[in-house]
Amino acid sequence: MKKTFICLATLSALTSSAAHADITFNGFASVVGGMTTSSKDQLYNFDDNLDFKQGSLFALQASSDLDNGLGVTLQLTAKGADDWDPEFKWAYVSYDASDEFRILAGRQRAPFYMYSDYLDVSYAYPWISPPKGVYNLIFDTFDGLGGIYTTSFGNVDATFHGIYGRNTDDIEAFSQQVKPDITDLTGLSSTFVYDWLTLRASYFVADVSIPLTDLQTLSAGWQQAGFNDIAQQTNIAEDDASFLEFGFQMHFDNLQIVGEYTNLDIDNSPLVEEESYYVMAGYQFDRILLHLTYGKDDNTISNYTSGVPYGIAPTLDFLKGTTEEIITNQISKENYLTFGVRYDFHDSAAVKFEYTDFENETDSSYDAGLFRMALVTVF
Amino acid sequence: MKLLKTCMVVYLSTLSFTSFGDVAVIVNPSNTSEISENDISRIFLGKNKSYANGNSVEPVNTKYGNGVRKEFEDKLIGKNKSQMKAYWSKLIFTGKGKPPKELSSDDEIIAFVATNPNAIGYISSEKVNDSVKVIK
Repeated sequence: MKKTFICLATLSALTSSAAHADITFNGFASVVGGMTTSSKDQLYNFDDNLDFKQGSLFALQASSDLDNGLGVTLQLTAKGADDWDPEFKWAYVSYDASDEFRILAGRQRAPFYMYSDYLDVSYAYPWISPPKGVYNLIFDTFDGLGGIYTTSFGNVDATFHGIYGRNTDDIEAFSQQVKPDITDLTGLSSTFVYDWLTLRASYFVADVSIPLTDLQTLSAGWQQAGFNDIAQQTNIAEDDASFLEFGFQMHFDNLQIVGEYTNLDIDNSPLVEEESYYVMAGYQFDRILLHLTYGKDDNTISNYTSGVPYGIAPTLDFLKGTTEEIITNQISKENYLTFGVRYDFHDSAAVKFEYTDFENETDSSYDAGLFRMALVTVF
Repeated sequence: MKLLKTCMVVYLSTLSFTSFGDVAVIVNPSNTSEISENDISRIFLGKNKSYANGNSVEPVNTKYGNGVRKEFEDKLIGKNKSQMKAYWSKLIFTGKGKPPKELSSDDEIIAFVATNPNAIGYISSEKVNDSVKVIK
């Protein structure tokens, strides 16, 4: 926190002394209140007590144009879900090599999804936040290099955004604080816009290590028992991961239809292959937008211990039992239906109301109804 | 000659009255680039960054308030104020672009366009004078 301010202060001191460059400040905020409709329900960190913290966030951006195509952008976001610990989502130096080509160096959002670039800027999209079933990767930023090339083919505007970098930010996974190492994150997103139609595709690969204690212990057990392949697969260490996304948007006068599909696969790991999609239809009545979203998440498990029969030795039975439990616990088939209203009551602010009916197809005790409302703004 | 010019300007502004009400899109008189309606829209959305001759465009917005900007954005760009705000949010918060700078009056815009060869702006058509060229 303190570091953050020193960084900001140093940066502004640098820029103001350098070239009398103007610093532009912009910001955005979401104040979100939400509660589930029944005492047993929990969804997206909300329970049946009305909560104003989980979904709320404030962000401030400072940017400055230095001369000759060079620019600096910093974005500090504080989220209630992180106990308001501010975090840099963007902190980079950009260089416009030409009107069409921009290079970014530093901390950036990875363009995984259609709404990645402005993931937290709720004012810029219909929902309070993009559908969580699809928007659920464990990280969304990286430190490295990016290149954005924009061009047009006749009436079609195209944007290609390539990245290379790494992420080592702490996360919470399997109820444990852990520092993953996502290295050689490489990928490209391509977006094509023709009048009413937007098509997007992105593909990323990376080497993923997530040092989870339980998995490491289990892996060591398999190693000792002489099952090297199973031991390696139980660990999440330098495993090849791939992420694929397709998205579209259609705008016809007052009607808009948006959809997105994602597939995440981490090879040689106990993690399941995840497939998700959503489709949204919205209709604009003057200042009011009504929208309906249906989404589905599915995953595929591979029981890589199936070659080891039960009953050989108690240790093996224990290892196999524990590993199978970790695999099967990840099985999930979920779907949700969200109905929402956005009302642009002000030129820089909107209020949003959403109800989500969530169904866990494998275990109905996780079904939930969630009501959320939000005041979102840009400034 | 001057009278003729004035007449032409008056004539042009009456023309634009039919398509864009009271708003005239203006450029520097030295600017000879072909600029279509679609080009104007793309310039003010930050999509076109240079004219056909390769010069960088310098678009300038008028502040909201006197109705000129609202009419320009509604009719020429086809977006209302909230939609414009949402559009620019997507670019501002990713550092991918920023909206054209704003000047507060028609007079300031005329002065800016008259002195900057690559400038493009829009004003209330009755304010048009011969220091600028009306293109729409």
